[in-house]
Amino acid sequence: MSEMIAVSDLKKHFMLHRHRPGFIGAIRNLITRERRVIRAVDGVSFTIEQGEFVGYLGPNGAGKSTTIKMLTGLLVPTSGGLQVNGRVPWRERQKHVREIGAVFGQRTTLWWDLPVIDSLELLMHIYHIPADRFRQNLQEFRGLLELDPFLSTPVRALSLGERMRADLCAALLHDPTLIFLDEPTIGLDVVAKERIRQFIRHINIHHGTTILLTTHDISDVEKLCNRVMIIDRGHLLYDGALEKLHERFGGKRQLIVDFGETYGEVHVDGAHVTERVGTRVTYHFERGTVTASELIGRLSNRFRIRDLEVREPDIEDTIRRIYEEQLLARE
Amino acid sequence: MRTLWEVAKLAIQRQLTYRAAALAGLVTNFFFGLLRAAILVALFGANREVAGLTIQGAITYTGLTQAVIGYMSFFGWYEVMDSVYSGEIASALLKPMSYFSFWLAQDLGRALVNFVLRGLSIMGLYALVFDITIPSQNSQWLAVLAAIILGWLVSFSWRFLVNLAAFWTPNARGVGRFAFGLSWVLSGFIMPLRLFPEWFVRLCNLTPFPSMINTVVEIYLGVLDSHAVMKALLIQSFWVILLVAAAHVVLQAGTRRLVIQGG
Amino acid sequence: MRSAFLTYFRLIAADVRAQLGYPVSFLFETTGAGLILSMFFISLALVFQRFESIAGWTLGEVAFLYGLIEMAFGAMDMIFSGFDPQFFGGNVRRGGFDKLLLRPQGLTLQVLGSSFVIRRLGRIFQGIVIFVIALSMVELSWTPVKILYLPIVFISLICFFGGLFIMGSTITFWTVESIEAINILTYGGSEMMSYPMHIYQDWMRRFFTFIVPAIFLNYYPALYFLDKPALQDLPSIAPFLSPIAGFGILFLALRFWRFGIRHYQSTGT
Repeated sequence: MSEMIAVSDLKKHFMLHRHRPGFIGAIRNLITRERRVIRAVDGVSFTIEQGEFVGYLGPNGAGKSTTIKMLTGLLVPTSGGLQVNGRVPWRERQKHVREIGAVFGQRTTLWWDLPVIDSLELLMHIYHIPADRFRQNLQEFRGLLELDPFLSTPVRALSLGERMRADLCAALLHDPTLIFLDEPTIGLDVVAKERIRQFIRHINIHHGTTILLTTHDISDVEKLCNRVMIIDRGHLLYDGALEKLHERFGGKRQLIVDFGETYGEVHVDGAHVTERVGTRVTYHFERGTVTASELIGRLSNRFRIRDLEVREPDIEDTIRRIYEEQLLARE
Repeated sequence: MRTLWEVAKLAIQRQLTYRAAALAGLVTNFFFGLLRAAILVALFGANREVAGLTIQGAITYTGLTQAVIGYMSFFGWYEVMDSVYSGEIASALLKPMSYFSFWLAQDLGRALVNFVLRGLSIMGLYALVFDITIPSQNSQWLAVLAAIILGWLVSFSWRFLVNLAAFWTPNARGVGRFAFGLSWVLSGFIMPLRLFPEWFVRLCNLTPFPSMINTVVEIYLGVLDSHAVMKALLIQSFWVILLVAAAHVVLQAGTRRLVIQGG
Repeated sequence: MRSAFLTYFRLIAADVRAQLGYPVSFLFETTGAGLILSMFFISLALVFQRFESIAGWTLGEVAFLYGLIEMAFGAMDMIFSGFDPQFFGGNVRRGGFDKLLLRPQGLTLQVLGSSFVIRRLGRIFQGIVIFVIALSMVELSWTPVKILYLPIVFISLICFFGGLFIMGSTITFWTVESIEAINILTYGGSEMMSYPMHIYQDWMRRFFTFIVPAIFLNYYPALYFLDKPALQDLPSIAPFLSPIAGFGILFLALRFWRFGIRHYQSTGT
């Protein structure tokens, strides 16, 4: 297994000029300006092996896109070691970029005014893809991604879901060994999200493509990744398997129960009642104290249950806990 | 009325944040003014006065034309058509304010800032470097002020009207480019209209464009007698009324079209 | 290298196809632009009727300068559309440059291929008309050297203006808001060069001789073509330095461009 990505003590600092708000501030801005250092990425280290499917999580402004920009070669680090496929991305841009693919949820890599198929053919020339390989890949992808209905439509006329599928196809045509997916399911409906997830999983399994997935959507990560990295304020807070994440840091889980009738006292051992609306009761419980099935068992012995749902704590919550945990560890 | 002032104030604030741009703009204005002045001076050659225009007047003219670019958004203004294309107009039309007045107030804010930051500063620079014409009498200053305000109103109404093409064609930008280009040529922006042959001036006077620039210039330079000044101001007012009325009519037709078509 | 050029032509072809996809719009805009621009010159010609010459140059002689600039600038504006500072600046701010960095192709060629505004043909045609009118108005004694040198002057002008465009675009890497002063470089420069340089003040002429060698690109060659007496006051090589000035500026611009890209990669958007 070869190392695809090797990052050591990577740092990226920015200088920011602040614009003062308000009317008076606007006039003061005409005279002087303020400067501030932003430590977007502040000493991050990790390695990613070939074939891995890694999720990269973190709140807004945590340093995710800055890391990705450095990995793709768009940004030069302030300090630290960075190697992708044995190369320093920004030093050997063209060679590096030829072997990777990237999909950005917010904007397209295709030509705005051209039909999708024209864009793809242009990419064939730019990436020097042999014609038969191009046809083969296109055949496979257009089936899996259902591109046929809009292959002749200009990119600007596509819906978000269609554009995302077209971008995915474009990113993989040249058989990259590593792809970066930056929020690929953002803004999509549930059906579209699932279709894209299936496709990405297929690529990872059948083509052995290493994938680094940046996302806000925890269900993306839960369904696709075996490993998760969490970044917050420029630091890597967690790097490991997803299940372990919940085990170690998962906060209170929720059990939401729809009872068959309105009961008076719904207390149960091992969990707190946090909300009651009609016949719906929300319980919070600690992972270590009791399992979900135990709780469900206790409840169903006493009450009639019509429906229930188990919810994991949300990622912001977990991250905050991890951060606090780090703080505790340092003391 | 209060909301209109709030809108204007916000526009002023926005403009004030661009400080480097303001300075760079001044340098740009000065360069182009110098350029045009050199061309006019070379044309005049040994002549001290041509068609009532002195060399001093010609040089002042080049400063004045630079000064009006900013506050009249002379090189093009596409904000209304952009809002039509983006669909933003739908929410704007729902507000309890006349759409025309909304944009008028915004333009007022922008025009005020530009007038002071760009217009007055380039004239100030010109006054330092050159011996420029300065109106001597208070009545003249009053007339200049009136002409500036009326000229701005003519310019705004024309720009607004042109932008309304967005209701009928997807390429309103192209229409705009042509329409604004026309205003550069026929308004006396390239060369003072007095220097053109009679028939050309008569042609220009069939359009609102001289009321945007040439009127302001000529009143400022004092080349018109008091009758001519009154007449010029009246012509400006006429164009204001005509264009504002046209804008309202066309806007109504346009919004009706929008509603029918469903955006 | 060859494939890079092929891709460039494919990109341009795609852009042209997209523009020609709206033939009515294209025709309207091209003729509209040509019309407006020609009215600039017509204004000059009409005003000229009151005067005999501008600093000793007849209308025809000015038209020679003017037409040459219009043709060259129009051609440059079409070829270097990708580097138009107004277009490029907006593109960078929207993250369009990142898109180019992610493709395994040279950046300069990609930017050149990113836009080819074919309606600039309007400006080129207008320039040709003015130039032809100029040739009919002046008494140009054609020699083989002049016939060979004219296209060289034309190409040198294109390189010169292209270099200015590239410099203007590179500056947008540093500025958050688009800087109007860049227009001095591009439109100011071309307007200034459309008139005989001796009408400008000494300091301006010195600037455009020694700092930005604009004077070698249009004015001195014009003195040579039109056999103006002022030619005698110059070293004999002066009118023939246009290719050096033109390609020199382009070369410097490309170095600055490289520098700008490095800066962009250090600071991001």
